[in-house]
Amino acid sequence: MKSILVVLAAVLALSLANDARAQEQAFANRASELKDRPAYDARTLAPVAAESPVKVISRQGAWTQVEVGGRRGWMRVFHLRFPSTVESGGGNALSGLTSVFGFGQRKQAETSKVATLGIRGLTAEDFQSASPDPAALRKLQSWRSDKASAERFAREGKLAPVPVAYADASGAQGERK
Amino acid sequence: MNRAVVRAVVFAFGLAALPAAAQLDVGRIFDLGKKAVEVGQKMQEATKEYTVEEEIALGEGISAGFLGAVRLHPDERMQRYVNRVGRWLASQTEKPDLPWTFGVIDTETINAFAMPGGTVIVSHGLVKRLTSESELAGVLAHEIAHVLRRHQIAAIQSDAGWSAAATGATAIAADQIARRGGGDVMGLKTAAAEAGIKLVKDGLFLRPLDRGLEYEADRIGVVIAARGGYDPYGLVAVLTMLAQVKPEESGSSITFSTHPSPTDRLGELEKFVPVALEQYARHPQLEARFRQSTGTR
Repeated sequence: MKSILVVLAAVLALSLANDARAQEQAFANRASELKDRPAYDARTLAPVAAESPVKVISRQGAWTQVEVGGRRGWMRVFHLRFPSTVESGGGNALSGLTSVFGFGQRKQAETSKVATLGIRGLTAEDFQSASPDPAALRKLQSWRSDKASAERFAREGKLAPVPVAYADASGAQGERK
Repeated sequence: MNRAVVRAVVFAFGLAALPAAAQLDVGRIFDLGKKAVEVGQKMQEATKEYTVEEEIALGEGISAGFLGAVRLHPDERMQRYVNRVGRWLASQTEKPDLPWTFGVIDTETINAFAMPGGTVIVSHGLVKRLTSESELAGVLAHEIAHVLRRHQIAAIQSDAGWSAAATGATAIAADQIARRGGGDVMGLKTAAAEAGIKLVKDGLFLRPLDRGLEYEADRIGVVIAARGGYDPYGLVAVLTMLAQVKPEESGSSITFSTHPSPTDRLGELEKFVPVALEQYARHPQLEARFRQSTGTR
């Protein structure tokens, strides 16, 4: 029994570690449903009221595995709203920027993520001292795939091309170009 | 070649190329609506002036400059894998025969870039946060869409200050291309490389595309991924991941500073993802092949 518990604990720890980056709070952005698996024809476990807080476990395509009201299941990704991720790290330094860029009327939670020009990542400085590297470009180009090997690769992955038209800006399906 | 002409080409390209790399996606700072329409109109007029060959040369210059600042990731197997995914997707588009080139850069920041002419770069920091080939396909397809619609060139020419210079550069570049023998490196390509480094130094990769263009690339990208036989929700899954990344985790906020917020993008995408695409949501995601080929867990 004890060893089973240890194994269980290990499995749990591992899955927690795997999911660590996804352990986040989100909210239902409308009335939705908790499904028993990530599929449209899945069984509905429970209704989810708009604005319910949910814990995000993992993601799979159009679906997000969540925990809500002590139950675990799947919700459509479009039915979730994720709180801003910058607020905690960005703090007050950003609020000045939001007004500079004319974001005054918008909610901070929506805008804080785009108003991060004040933070310079490593690469921003790296670019300042760069000089062109044609050798690296040649190396990059040596990794190109040709059409035929890409097709082989797709077949190996059981990927079959599907004719799908681009959607225009109104959401309507246009002719395939 | 006349030195003054060389300098003129360099100068003109330098200006012209400034915003020419499209960046995966997360945000601009000015208000869209009208602006997006203007960009679209100017794009119509302006992009006509670049031939495909000019576009490719310009993109190579930008890439050479870019690679002077950022190292390629040494894992050749991963590089070739990303190229196969990208080439397969590009083959499903209206420009299957551009010299499509895909690369992973050795940085833990989260970003992806498209250069004119068909070069697409993703950061290792982004790759390692993905969980499947369909997510990678979503990212690559978004960048491919920037190339297809020549968004980078549109951005150049939507700016009054650059468009005059860009027009001059185009004329000179066209002349150069006409005279260029096979494999000439000293002509346009050198000028393009110089232009590339200048624009990189000038903060090209901090400069966002118009928000409307990012949304357009999302819409097109989802369709391209579906055409390739992937679960088209890969990009959607990536956006939800981005929505949850903390800035201290991302190592850099360039992605977030140059693209609309992931939440805004999801909202836009939901409006435009054709309902018809839902039927492909069970198409392969290829998690295992992705993990094996990229060395992610």
